Amino acid sequence: MQRHSEFGVHLRDSTMTAALRYLLAHSLLNAVLFRLRRLRQPKYLVGAIFGAAYFYFYFYRFLFGGGGKASLHGGDPSLVPDAFWPMLGAAILFIATMLLAWVMPDSRAAIAFTEAEIAFLFPAPIARRTLIIHKLLKSQFALLLISLFFTLITGRFRAGADAWFRMGGWWVILNTLNMHRIGASFALQRLRERGMANWTRRILALLVIAAVALGVEATRRSLPPLPTEPAALALWLPQLASAGPLQYVLVPFRYVVSPYFAHTLASFLAALWPALGIMALHFIWVVRADVSFEEAAIASAQKRATFLAAHRRGENPLLTGKGKAKIPLWRLGLTGFAPFAFLWKSLLRFGGRRSLALWAIFFTALAGAAWYLRGHVTEKPTTGIVILAATIGLGCYLSLLFSLITLGQHAAKQLRQGIADMDLLKTYPIPGWQLALGELLGPLLLGALLQWAAIAIGTFLGTTLLAKHADAQRVIWLIAAGLALLLPMLNIAMSILPSAAALLFPGWLKPQEAATPGIENTGLRLLLGIGQLLAIAIALVPPAFLGGCAWFAIGKWTHHLEWQIAFTAATALPILAMEAALGIAWLGDLYDRYDAT
Amino acid sequence: MIAVDGLTKLYGDFAAVRDLSFVVRPGEVMGLVGPNGAGKTTTLRCLAGIIPPTKGTIIVAEHDLAFDPIAAKQLLAFFSDEPRLFDYLTVRQHLEFTARIYQMKDARERSAELLSMMELEEKANALPTELSRGMKQKVALACGFLHRPQVMFFDEPLTGLDPLAIRRTKDLIVQQAKQGVAILISSHLLHLLEEVCSHVLILKRGEKIAHGTLAQIHEQFREDGKKMTLEEIFIRLVGEDAGK
Repeated sequence: MQRHSEFGVHLRDSTMTAALRYLLAHSLLNAVLFRLRRLRQPKYLVGAIFGAAYFYFYFYRFLFGGGGKASLHGGDPSLVPDAFWPMLGAAILFIATMLLAWVMPDSRAAIAFTEAEIAFLFPAPIARRTLIIHKLLKSQFALLLISLFFTLITGRFRAGADAWFRMGGWWVILNTLNMHRIGASFALQRLRERGMANWTRRILALLVIAAVALGVEATRRSLPPLPTEPAALALWLPQLASAGPLQYVLVPFRYVVSPYFAHTLASFLAALWPALGIMALHFIWVVRADVSFEEAAIASAQKRATFLAAHRRGENPLLTGKGKAKIPLWRLGLTGFAPFAFLWKSLLRFGGRRSLALWAIFFTALAGAAWYLRGHVTEKPTTGIVILAATIGLGCYLSLLFSLITLGQHAAKQLRQGIADMDLLKTYPIPGWQLALGELLGPLLLGALLQWAAIAIGTFLGTTLLAKHADAQRVIWLIAAGLALLLPMLNIAMSILPSAAALLFPGWLKPQEAATPGIENTGLRLLLGIGQLLAIAIALVPPAFLGGCAWFAIGKWTHHLEWQIAFTAATALPILAMEAALGIAWLGDLYDRYDAT
Repeated sequence: MIAVDGLTKLYGDFAAVRDLSFVVRPGEVMGLVGPNGAGKTTTLRCLAGIIPPTKGTIIVAEHDLAFDPIAAKQLLAFFSDEPRLFDYLTVRQHLEFTARIYQMKDARERSAELLSMMELEEKANALPTELSRGMKQKVALACGFLHRPQVMFFDEPLTGLDPLAIRRTKDLIVQQAKQGVAILISSHLLHLLEEVCSHVLILKRGEKIAHGTLAQIHEQFREDGKKMTLEEIFIRLVGEDAGK
């Protein structure tokens, strides 16, 4: 039997790295070519044009200063803090990452491989170290893109050359964090292999944190008392960070973030060397760790493949195939109206009795809080309490408004997912309109329940703030009741156009592209959003027109707002119901005529 | 040659594979059978150096996998149950990439030969998204055969293939064995294994419960003096674990 030393491995490293570079370069090139060739299809071309226009106009503001939000420091070098705030930011970032990486690691090894990489590279004559270098190299492209994105959205390019320092700073921070996460997972894996229990590890990590906290506390005692005014606090905190053990603890963090806060080439280069030194130390730590990450990588790749497969089917990967069987809300009868069976299935998919109970508890707690706030606002109104009540009330109304736009799309998404099982659906002995209604019923009913809860709590708090205006309170309650009455039908009407689009143009609206990155997919989503807004407008025109006619007609007869609101709602409701019924019938027809090939 | 001695793989207290020993000589094809969860894939992954064993010695083509993994891996090929290809490499680029990994000097000729043998010439510049499952499997096989391995591990190679592809894969396996390759195959398709394998090893809950040449196994398990099929032997041995 032959045995070789690890020396041979070192000799192979350079050729292996060349092979892996080949893989990265060709994969990237082919991915770009693939996307370019895809533009020959009108769907992707239109999506790309819309997406490019969106990105251009969105980032135009950040690139050329054509408006938008100002950056944190407005690009003025004199405003860039150079000592305390970067240190504090780094400390918070690193402490959070360390806590996550050391105390609550996600999996046994943080280094992720695709299934193809596992199939080709794990049985191949490649050293672990080369595999790790390959992964670190591969992550650079993504980290550079993220760095560019962060620099763009924080408006740094308006500050000219300053932006490149920010981008470089982001790159150093993200790389160090990434390598720290991988290194920590390797270290934890080694500790586990040596028999250290999870609780021992957590206690050790918490002891280190406690030691630092004690040091900080000791420093705090040597300083004047903690000021309450923001200006004084801003002076006091740097003192705390520059004294005692904290000044030493924060040194590496300060080094890592310093390039980000540099505002001249000289200061950037001066700050870069220590940061690169820390990065290099992390690199050596990660690359030299001879830890068997393979099993964790396989498990993680399988999990990710399942996640992506669910995503490609247009399902919510977080809800798919996880945990135990769900308890249904009710026992499904063996006979009855078929769409209720779909509703029953949708509720199970949503999480069954447990999820609904959690939502019920949430809204009960919110209602309890609203009741408590109402009591305080009425009896002992303080500014804080009034602001809190107004914020919760406004939040409820804003979520209602948001739901009007998104609920129809969400219901249509569920229907699109059902299209993937069209072979099965087509075999069911039920008419198409029942299939359409069944697919939409679940998300629309759940949405309506959430909307009703939001209206009730929002109105309850809103009317509390108008305690002295009894008439206004009554009108608001009446409007809310009218709206609550109209919402279910409005929701159905809203979902018709996006659902019909999915049935009419299945090639344009694939579930797997609903959340895929890329300019063309962003453009397609944008188009869908515009279509949805159009659908809302179209659906609202007839009931709004006839409701408006009713309002004015009744207004000539009586000046009681209650009557006007009631008659307007009573006029609009059947119109909306008719729209919904016609829409469902249309969808049913599209279902029946759908060509599953 | 594959020589395994005392292979054990533990996950915590659970033994996925326990004290497994066997030898597959050049030209032999060993069928690794067992119910779901018996430890077949774990065994194959350990033998291919994909995951480390907890205990035991694995010799692949004269190289100890623990001491000299690179040299051992240079001489083996592993074929997973699903052909897993890189999304953005063409068929030809898969072969070129594999050639670089294994440092193949005659890669061009060998690639052309394999593309022709697998009838993939027309698809040489296609991406995996443009290929059927059968074609993807051909690409995976071509990549595995490229460096002329002395040892091959197949994990469920026949599942999900159409009859023609099954026939072709079987022929390729037999052909490789005739050229002196030591082959280990796991499969649930016992009647097909009988046509391909020279040896059989039956696993149950991570332990070896039967092992030998096909003739020895048939001789060992007879019912009323009558020869039993491998399927009948498997069901008798595995009992309540079958079908899980």
